[in-house]
Amino acid sequence: MLTGTGIHFQYPGTSTQVFRDMHFQLSSPGFHALFGPSGVGKTTLAKIICGDMGGYSGAIQTDGIDRILFTYNLERLPGWSSVGDHLQWNTPPDRRNLLDTLIETFGLRRCLQSRFARLSLGQQNRTNLARYLLQDFDLLIMDESLANVDEVTKETIILKMKSLFPQRSFLYISHSVAEVAKFCREIIVLRSHRKDPQVISLQGLDYEEGQALNRESYERTMLEMVNAF
Amino acid sequence: MLSRRIYQFFLIYLLGLSALMVFKYGLNLSDYVIPGPGEIVKTGRMYSGQYFAAVLDTMVVAILGHFLSIVLATIVGVIGRLNLWIGSFIRVAAFNIQAYPIVAVAPIIFILLGDGLSSRLLIAAMICYFPLLLSIIGILTEPVTEIEHFFESTRRMNWRLQTRIRAFENIQKLITVVVGSATLAMVGTIVAEFIAADAGIGYSIRIALFQSDLAKILIALFFIGLCTSLYLVCLEWIGRIFQRRWE
Repeated sequence: MLTGTGIHFQYPGTSTQVFRDMHFQLSSPGFHALFGPSGVGKTTLAKIICGDMGGYSGAIQTDGIDRILFTYNLERLPGWSSVGDHLQWNTPPDRRNLLDTLIETFGLRRCLQSRFARLSLGQQNRTNLARYLLQDFDLLIMDESLANVDEVTKETIILKMKSLFPQRSFLYISHSVAEVAKFCREIIVLRSHRKDPQVISLQGLDYEEGQALNRESYERTMLEMVNAF
Repeated sequence: MLSRRIYQFFLIYLLGLSALMVFKYGLNLSDYVIPGPGEIVKTGRMYSGQYFAAVLDTMVVAILGHFLSIVLATIVGVIGRLNLWIGSFIRVAAFNIQAYPIVAVAPIIFILLGDGLSSRLLIAAMICYFPLLLSIIGILTEPVTEIEHFFESTRRMNWRLQTRIRAFENIQKLITVVVGSATLAMVGTIVAEFIAADAGIGYSIRIALFQSDLAKILIALFFIGLCTSLYLVCLEWIGRIFQRRWE
């Protein structure tokens, strides 16, 4: 579905390599994660995957993925209209029902009359993610898109996303070991370019609503993730 | 209640006048060089009406020239923000032309258009146009990535939306630039009148200069300062209304 082969990248004007002969693969649609310590190149890799960044060598190959969107947690909505007006304006006419569902699930009903700048950081991130989910995409890369959102709401949102979009792909970038291990199917652990291999792939629990959580597997996955650093 | 700008103008004018009096009495200069307070008040009584009308004449030309340059700079700025050859051409041309003192071109304009309204208007517009254009191009070429990213990646971005986003995000800067350029428009008009026009306060100052009558010039400066401050206050007020409505 998504494969990266022999990726080399370093920022122009610097001598530090970000990626050195890096390989990764996501094999099927679902809720996946890109995990790793700060500064290791997660956002850079996300931008390379979605085509926002060039200047790398190697190949990114996709199969069954035509439309890749990338969203990050510092994005803002224009300030001249309310959040509700903006969401309406950016929702295709055939997705009004989906918009209503997302407003309920994301707890945005009380924010609709407000300007984006007046919202809390968590509300801003939820609003931003909701508008992306209303668009056409095959793969949505979410860079810290649920930062500043409380754990309960975060869980509700992720589980709803998984049930609403079972055939789409998500690449979730987060620093939370617990949530990545619990909700994600395939976990790409990105390590320093000095380590070989630079990427380790792990299986997450891919937890779905109503499913029983296997505590032992959960703890083992978290331990594997931490050890992979 | 008078705006802070008007108070500031009165304060600066009085300080300037006081400095002149200190010079006059400190160096024991004659009334012919620097007139005394009585002479200034007398001239004020005699010429206030005439000079106020002349300043209003100048203000009308300055406001028209200012408006013209805002409209032109906005249109050219929107084109100049493009990454196409036309955008690059406009940016390079604007940077180069603004480096040339427009006042030096003024005599050519008077030769070609005569000393009527059109020459004064053109010079006023030209003097405030290039600084305005450069600021507008600067604002409109600066991406607001955290807002534009969504529209770029969902292919909704068009030139109107991009201009709207960048203008909205920099509305305070734009208002400051427009208010700042108003003074330039006034300067441009007075300079034009001073060079060759047949009306306006610049023309009156030229006559007073030939008569070596500093009292008249001080009265003219008072009305120029007062009217310019009032114009700036009006522009700031309009800017605030515009900003409040847009937000």
